[in-house]
Order: sequence, then structure tokens, then C-alpha cells
Amino acid sequence: MEEKLIAIKNSALSIILDTSDKKTLEEIKLQFLGRNGQLTLAIKEIAKLPKERRPEIGVLANEVKKAIEQTLENQKLIIKKFESETKKEQIDTTAPGIQPKIGHLHPMTQVIYEVVDVFKSIGFQTADGPEIETDYYNFEALNIPKHHPARDTQQTLYLDTQNSKVTPGEAILRTQTSAMQGRVMEKIKPPIRVIVPGKNFRYEQVDASHSFEFWQVEGFLVDEQVRLTDLFGTIDYVLRKLMGEGTKLKFATTNFPFVEPGVDTYIECTVCKGKARLPNGQGCSFCKQSGWSEIMPAGMIHPYVLSAAGYNPKELSGFAFAIGLSRLVTLKYQMDDLRLLTNPDLRILEQF
Amino acid sequence: MLAPLSWLKDYVDTTLAPYELGERLTEVGLGTEKIIKTDDDTIFEFEITPNRPDLLSILGIAREIAAVEGKKIKLPKLPNFPNPKKTLRFEIKTDKTINPRFTGIIIDGINVKDSPKWLQERLIKINQRPINNIVDITNYVMFELGNPIHAFDYDKIKDHVMIVEKAKGTELFKSVDGISYHLPKDAVIIKDNERIIDLCGIKGGFNSGTFEDTKTIFIRVPVEDPILIRKASQALNLRSEASSIFERGVNAGGTIDTLKRCVDLVLETAGGEIASNLYDLKISDFSPWNVNLNIERLNKILGIEIPKNKVIDILDSLNLSPVITKGFIECTIPTYRNDLKTEEDLIEEVARIYGYNNFPKTIPTGEIPIILVPYFKDYKIEEKAKNILIAAGFSEIYTYSLMSESDLENAHIKPERVLRVDNPVSREFEYLRPTLKINLLKAFSQNKPNFKEINLFELGKVYLGKNLDETQEVYFLSGISNVKNFYEVKGIIERLFLYLGIKEDPTKYIEGIDDGVFFEINFSEILKKVNLEKIFIPLPKYPPVLEDLAIVASDDVKTGDLINEIKNQSSLIHIVSLLDQYEETRTFHIVYQHRERNLTTDDVSKIREKILKTLGEKFKARLKQPSTA
Repeated sequence: MEEKLIAIKNSALSIILDTSDKKTLEEIKLQFLGRNGQLTLAIKEIAKLPKERRPEIGVLANEVKKAIEQTLENQKLIIKKFESETKKEQIDTTAPGIQPKIGHLHPMTQVIYEVVDVFKSIGFQTADGPEIETDYYNFEALNIPKHHPARDTQQTLYLDTQNSKVTPGEAILRTQTSAMQGRVMEKIKPPIRVIVPGKNFRYEQVDASHSFEFWQVEGFLVDEQVRLTDLFGTIDYVLRKLMGEGTKLKFATTNFPFVEPGVDTYIECTVCKGKARLPNGQGCSFCKQSGWSEIMPAGMIHPYVLSAAGYNPKELSGFAFAIGLSRLVTLKYQMDDLRLLTNPDLRILEQF
Repeated sequence: MLAPLSWLKDYVDTTLAPYELGERLTEVGLGTEKIIKTDDDTIFEFEITPNRPDLLSILGIAREIAAVEGKKIKLPKLPNFPNPKKTLRFEIKTDKTINPRFTGIIIDGINVKDSPKWLQERLIKINQRPINNIVDITNYVMFELGNPIHAFDYDKIKDHVMIVEKAKGTELFKSVDGISYHLPKDAVIIKDNERIIDLCGIKGGFNSGTFEDTKTIFIRVPVEDPILIRKASQALNLRSEASSIFERGVNAGGTIDTLKRCVDLVLETAGGEIASNLYDLKISDFSPWNVNLNIERLNKILGIEIPKNKVIDILDSLNLSPVITKGFIECTIPTYRNDLKTEEDLIEEVARIYGYNNFPKTIPTGEIPIILVPYFKDYKIEEKAKNILIAAGFSEIYTYSLMSESDLENAHIKPERVLRVDNPVSREFEYLRPTLKINLLKAFSQNKPNFKEINLFELGKVYLGKNLDETQEVYFLSGISNVKNFYEVKGIIERLFLYLGIKEDPTKYIEGIDDGVFFEINFSEILKKVNLEKIFIPLPKYPPVLEDLAIVASDDVKTGDLINEIKNQSSLIHIVSLLDQYEETRTFHIVYQHRERNLTTDDVSKIREKILKTLGEKFKARLKQPSTA
């Protein structure tokens, strides 16, 4: 009899623990504890036992019954918990996720890093120069002597020289990152491949497309056999990498005293796609209705600049360019106002 | 510079459609800003680069069109001066060092009146107001040929004497349009025997101008010194078409032709007769010069082989009279092309007319430089630093370097100790920021109406030093937050320093502000100490023992001191961290680790005893007894 009860218990528990739905659990309960259940029938047989054995077996039978009942209860809870967990996975998946609270990198920074990476891929290192600059590096070393008309296009902010040994007019806020050409060249021998991202300053009133502070990436390459076609190829490669393979460019002649030949680069307007008009028929204000944006003045480095740096222009040549970085950022993201770049409104920043 | 198509067609038979012509001219360097269609004409608006004074004339633009379209140029008629039947008395005292060329002639018996209709219309098309036939002709011929001209009333020149000299400064001068100026020192002027009658290269004088009663004129076509003209025009903040031409360098060889054209038109429209010999006082002959072009060098610099005959064609189309000599192409540069002085200049001429967009594109073939460039900046470090802040929830801003005096004063910074711009665009942007805090606080306030939680940072330059001798430009990394508390901000900087390999307590960089926490780090200083070298430490082979110790100590005992003291007790203590703090109890999590063997309970309990003993002696701290409840 004892063996029978223990066998019932073992078989009941193992079945119960294998069960994963409530309905089967009810059936198992009936199977063992119901009116005709195995345990119920076994208990009925206790009466047939000799009298002196009945209490002992009775206690055992009770324990078996309790064990079965408890296991049933536990299993019920487990099943319930499992079901509710499963249910959780099925909650409304159309609701938005919970995003981690991470911040936003400024679009200017993102573009600078891209520029740095693209140039690195063709061997250009990155340098950083002073914003408080001398008239010499900013102008004279670049073949722009004092009273040269080209200075008109770069109205300059002069620093107060009081209480210092600096001659008035000699300390300025640099108007162009090209000021770094002389500084770098006079310190090392070619080959040189370097870019200089940085802030520049000019005496200009602020509006949607002008500012007294703006960003450029200067770049120059000096070596023994540098060709104009290398300049075209480099500009083409870089702008395609930065603005997309389908980017359309055109080149034009221009004049800066520190390059000869001088090149200007235009990129097809990202807003009107070169059509000069918007889909609604209005003229595209982004490119002044020309379909093109001036983005990257460049040229072969003028022999004067090479000589000033102590190089022999008969043996060496080079090219230089300046990417209008602020302009590049606004073009890339179709921002119609340069002032957006210095506006710290999180509603702007969070878009990047 | 405005150029009506109808006027251009006087000199060149252009056949390209206006839009195409504009595109082509832009490619060769004559930036086409606008093409305006009017009822009877097309007006081009060009941007002229500083190196091309010749393009400040209709003829100059026509020459470019002729070169681009392969057409011949038709010059206006330039008849020789008729012989004078009489010569009026006139004396010129000039200084050729300040006035390199002085060409002029007298016409007597003119009739000043309105210009003929065709002349008025042409001037109106280029936004010039017709005045009278003499003034209009001088204006017209300047726009046509590019040499400025001025007509003086001969009878108003006292004693018929012209003296060219430099102004001493502060003299008063009334210009022909009735405005008075105090002249700057070294402005080039013409005096008669009594008064200043001309501000050379910029504006004529009121007292000697041509008006309705003028009967006799002296026409002057000068070459002025570019620097002197530019200095005077800048000092007076006064620009004229003439000064723009002179400061770029006028066509010094063109004065006689200009005078011929002018005289012809005056005689035709105002009558009169030549009443003097030609005056032409000049410092040199101003004849064309030669520049040689080596075709191999041309091809080497351009990177393509342009056939020799094509090169010759291009140079010829620009009137550079190319002649092939031994190994060179010798060009004769017309005097209106002041910008062509070197071989490189000629290379550009060939390249631009050939068309930049017809060039192939190549990638530089030279060696990639290996040595570190001077002024090198490692963007990787900056990027990582920014990424740590971004991960901590901060958004990046860029603000202006320039700020106002009141910005500084509000931040209790003395303006006289901050670098200043002498000619600011406005008082709002006058000083160079010595800190990023001011702009971050402004940015913070600006965002308050829209955001409850604000975390902002900037990594940018500040400008230190109270004068230019002490100037230092350094990068600051600063941030502001109303979300993070002190410990969180400290932790972010600790994490940053950990990456950068900097062993420094960040507390000094952090300060509490009204409704948040602000930090400012001299990033340039930090970069000097960076150590990015990381060496892997193999994982321990034996398990650590972990233990939490609840220590009771008074409030004035610093957590940092407790942690340091615990660590000092044994080299087997690997990590100590603050797990929890409640009232007087601070719970520290301690990781014991032996690298050679398993730690025993005995090992740990000895260290624990030592810890408790030391903390007790130094800080009157004790182990919290388990509650007996």
C-alpha cells in the first residue's frame, strides 16, 4: 500500500510539473483527486487494511494528497506568471520606444569630422592655427600687400593694440584660414598635404548669408609635380564624398592674389537641384536663383607665396583651396540661414 | 559692372544666346551675376575681380567675348587730333612720381547742352545720370574704353596753371557735385594759382567743373598712382568708378587713344576746335612688354597636353601677339592687361579660355607625407571627448567668439582685461570671449521656455591675456545642466579623464549655478597631459572576494578620504566604491583580489580588521552593528 501511494505521488508530481496549461492541470486534478481519482480510490482501500496499520497509512495518504495539491497550486502560479509574461511581449508595438537620453552633436562638428576623414583618405593631415593673426600671414605672405584692392573683399577686424608692443594694424582676426599656408610651409619641406578647419572673422553685418564669423577648411598640397588637373580631381573626389556621388560641379576662373591660375568651384544647388526654381514655381532663394552655389575657391599656389615661404617655385608647385564650411553645412542640410549654425535652440540641435 | 548687349555689339558680333554667353564668361572669370531682359535690350551685370581693371569697360568685356567666341574686335574710330589753329596759354607743373602720366588737350568754343539722345540712353542703361554733353562724353568714354577722363573749365583755372601735388591734410575741397571734404594727407590734388581744383583719381572740383556757361575746356586723361588713390579714397570713404579703375591699375598706354575718342565726340556733339598742342607728360613710355611662355612648363602645370597651335590660337584671341621662338612662345602684352606679368599668368590665360570644365581630373600622384605636420590637431581625441558628453545627454552648441561689454560686466569680468576689437561691426560684438560660460548661460536661458531638461556644451576657443603681448588662444570645454547633479557631472568628467588617461580630480572644474551645474575645463591644458596608451591586464585566474562594509562616521568625514584610506590598507584591495549612503552610514563595496592564489576567509578578515582599526583611529568611524531587533 505504501509503495502504491508513493508511486501515485511520483507519477502525479511528474505529470503536473510537465504541464503548461491550466486546463490540463484541472484534468490532472480530477485524475488523481477526483471522485474516481487514483488517490481517492487508493484512500478508499485503506479501510480494507488491518486496523493497526490504518493510522500510519492514513497519515501517508494525507501527505501525498497535500503534496499533490500544493504542486498543483504552484504549477498554477507558474503558468499564470508565464502567461502574463508572454502577454507583455504582445503589448502595443506601435507605441514609440523609450529612447536613451543622449545628446546631439552639432551639424558643423559632424561635417568637420566627415571632411577630416575624407581628406585623411587621400593623405591629408589636419592642422589648427591661431585666429588672432598677423597682417603678414593673413595678407602679405599671400601676395596681398597693404593697399591691394583685394583687401576690399576681406574687410578686416583689427585688434586693440593698446598696452602692448604690437604695432597698430598688425594684429587682426584672421579673415581666411589661408593664413596657415605661410605658417606651415615655412616650417617644413614638401611634400605637404594639410587641411585647416577653422573660424574666420570679417567686418560684415549679419544676415541670412553673411556673418562676421564664419568657418572654412583651408587645404593645400605642395610637391614636385602638382598639376591643375590634380586640383580638379581632388575637389571632385572630396565634394562627391561629402555631398554624394551624384553631386554636379562646375569650375570657373577667378582671381585671388595667392593663386595662379585661380579656380572657383560651384556645386549644383541642393534645394532646387539646379533648376533655380522651387516646385511651387517660386525662385530658389538658396542659390539666388542661379541653380549653383559657390562652395570652394581654389587655385595653383602663386609662385610669390612659395618664394615667401622659402621654396623655389621653379622646382615646386602646389594647389590650395578653401571650402566654405558654414556654407557646406547649410547646403548639406538645406538650412536657409547661416545664423541657424550659431543658434543654440535645442529644437534645432535635436534634428541632428 | 553693367554692360548692355546692344553696346557690346558695337565692338563684337556675339552670336551666343545671352544665357550661354553668361555661363561661358563666368567660366573664363567674368562672373555673370545677372542677366536682365529689358524691352529693347539685354543687360549683363558682371562681378569684376580686382586684377582686371580692363573689364571695367565695355570694350574690355567685348574683348573677352571675342576671345571666347573666336571673333574679331571692332575698335571705335580714333581719328588723329586736328592741328590746332591757335594755342591757348596753359602751364602744367606735375610730379611724375605721384602722377605717372598726364595727357591732355584744350578745346575752345564749345557749346554745352544736353547730350544727344543715343548718348543719354546708353548712360541711363548703365545707371548713369546724364548731366551735359561734356560731362556725359567723359563719362561715356571712360565706360567705353576704361580710362577715366576729367574736363576742366579752362577759364576757371586761375592763371591757366595746373600744379599736381600731394595734399598736406585737412584742406577743404568741394567736389563737382557740391559736397565738401577735408582732404587726407597725401591725397593727390591739382591746384591752380589759388585753389584746389581737382581731387585726382576720385572726383573733380566744383570750382572748375563744366557747366552751361563753359566755353573752353581742358580735357585730362591721367594715369594715377594706385596706392595713393586707394589710400585717399579709403580715408574719405569715397569711391567712384574712376577710383576703382585707378586703384586696380589703369591702362597706362591708353591715355592718347582715350583722348582721341573723347575729342572726336566733343567736336561732333559740342562743336569747338582744338586750341593747344597735345600735352603728354609721362614717367616712362608705357609700351607693351614681353612675357615668355614655355609650352612644356604649361603642360606640366596644367596636367594636359594642349596642342601648340591651340595654345597659339588662344593667345592670339586675347591679342597677346604670340610668336614662336626657340623653345618659347613670346607674347607681347597690351598695356591694358596689367595683370599679365609672369609665365603663370599666361598659363592661366590659356587654361581659362581652353575651359576649366574641359580638363580631365586626376588624383595627386606624389608621396603621402609621413612626418607630423606643424600645428597638427588630433580630431580623434576631440571627437571622443564630445562623444562622451553626447552619451551623457549633452547637446553641442557653437557660439560667437565676440561679445559685448555688458556681457562681460554681467559676468563680473573687467572689460579692460579682455582683448578688444578696434573696429567692431557693432558694440554687441566687441570683445573676444575669455570664457564660454557667458554664452552657455545665454543658451540655457534661451531654451528654458521650450525645455524642462537642458544639457548643453561647447568646445571652443577662448582668448586669454589682458593685452596682445600676453595673448593665448586656448580651447575650453564647458557645459551646463539643470538635470545632472554635482556627482553626475563629476562622474562624466571622471569618465572623460579616464579615457584621456588623466589622473586628476575634476572637482575644481565644477561650480553650482542658480538652477543647475556648470563646468569649464581648459581643454588645451588637458590635452598636454593626455596619455592614450592602454595596456591590457590579464583577467585574474582566481575568484575575487566581494564584501559590503557599512561604516558609521560623522558627516564631516569625507567619502573620498574614507575610500583612499580603505584602499591604502592592502594591495589586495582591488576596488572600493560607495554603494549607498543613508544618514550616518556609508556602505562601501570592496573587491579583494589576489592574482596568485585563492583568498581565504582568514586573509580577508585580517584586512577587514585593519581597515576598521585605521578608520576608527583616523575618523572615529566604526562598523555598523547588525540591528538586533
